[in-house]
Amino acid sequence: MKIIDPHVHMTSRTTDDYEAMASAGIVAVVEPAFWLGQPRTQAGSFVDYFNSLIGWERFRAAQFGIWHFCTIGLNPKEANNPRLATEVIEMLPRFLAKDGVVAVGEIGFDDQTDAEQDCFARQVELARTFNLPVLVHTPHRDKKQGTIRSLALVRLLGFPEERVLIDHNNEETLPIVLDSGCWAGHTIYPNTKMDEHRMAVLVQKYGSDRIIVNSAADWGISDPLKVPKTIAVMRAQGIAEETIARIVWDNPAAFFAQSGRFDVSALEKRPDMDRRQKFETNSVLRGEPAQAHR
Amino acid sequence: MHDASHGSQNQLLVVYTGASQHLGRAPLALSDGGPDVVDHWTVEDGGRLLFLLVRHEASPSPAAFIDAASSCYQQGDAREQQSWLRAVAFLPDPARFLPLVVDACRTNILPLFESVACENPYPARHFPERNFNQMVLKALFTGVALARILGLPERANPELARMASDYADERRAAGRSIPVDIALAMADRARTRTDT
Repeated sequence: MKIIDPHVHMTSRTTDDYEAMASAGIVAVVEPAFWLGQPRTQAGSFVDYFNSLIGWERFRAAQFGIWHFCTIGLNPKEANNPRLATEVIEMLPRFLAKDGVVAVGEIGFDDQTDAEQDCFARQVELARTFNLPVLVHTPHRDKKQGTIRSLALVRLLGFPEERVLIDHNNEETLPIVLDSGCWAGHTIYPNTKMDEHRMAVLVQKYGSDRIIVNSAADWGISDPLKVPKTIAVMRAQGIAEETIARIVWDNPAAFFAQSGRFDVSALEKRPDMDRRQKFETNSVLRGEPAQAHR
Repeated sequence: MHDASHGSQNQLLVVYTGASQHLGRAPLALSDGGPDVVDHWTVEDGGRLLFLLVRHEASPSPAAFIDAASSCYQQGDAREQQSWLRAVAFLPDPARFLPLVVDACRTNILPLFESVACENPYPARHFPERNFNQMVLKALFTGVALARILGLPERANPELARMASDYADERRAAGRSIPVDIALAMADRARTRTDT
């Protein structure tokens, strides 16, 4: 089965992960800009990070046969540093204009502060300007309230709900999101958020409309094969193949296609895997001869 | 000590860092038991607080002190930040460091989070309600015993009780266990119930 992992932080992952993902059927990934695990103290750190998402990581993924797209935005955690937040948001337009950027995100709430709400709203306006959909992270703590607040803000701003993906849902938040026009993402994690079996139960209960799953694998305990593993569990639970295909391919493709920069027909063919290629004089070979690889 | 009080900012940073080598990490053990927060400190923690206090005495202006003290936190490694956070309640006019302490709660490094949330009077004294509640919820999330949060009973509030109760619902819906000490975060609700 062809798979899109619509939320995975490949910057934190190894080439082994890319190989395993490609052989498990993952054809394309979307990498949202997020927090790197420790505070960034200056706007320049974001410039380098965004550039690596747009350039180096896309190149690296292609070397393993995977199409790489990204979303660009200021994450809610770092929205709480007002000086930095303003500087970062001011430079977003030049990144949002680039090919391969298929949404604004991850934005949303973490501690649910006023500063977070302000950055959230400003970036929704940027999405409107650049005609991009929006990826909204929901908080770990006080998640239900954070989800309700996020939906209320989207509505208040009059942003089209079908262009919003609310992520990291659980049993409590999914029905709330489905009641809106937004899409509902689910992060399948080894210990927290959602697991494969609970996800299968949710699909049996709510079907596949606007439902998406992802691994959100990053620098913490996480697993970049969680989408294929969830497929296996859904199959074992007797969920129909076409329902599964909608969740892991059609839905994420339809959501990100709203950017006008995510052409599903172009994904039919794997990217060119010639590893002699270089990105700004660097290759993934680390000095090995190219013929050592397939 | 002169480097700490009158040296350049870089000299202060070197002294502040060097506390681990020159003073070590033995328990401070100032008091003979009891609830004193410093019982949980190491000698380097105490030394670092002393460096900041002498710096304050010698600082030409409040702004110079804020700058020097903040850079000890911002340039510090995880251990130095831990010392700083444990001691911040004892700096002159500690409320001015609130943004740094609130931000420290956003860390994913558990010992750093604990140095704010646990055995530290600062949050109960200085955190606004929303930040205090977020800290308590994060303690529940990360398995930090709520009994270690100083002043929790006094700061209990209906919103915190609501957040803790939602968290219990979320855990139940996910088929997961509920932390045994969650009732400490719902103290306000319990109090209201007995009142009515």
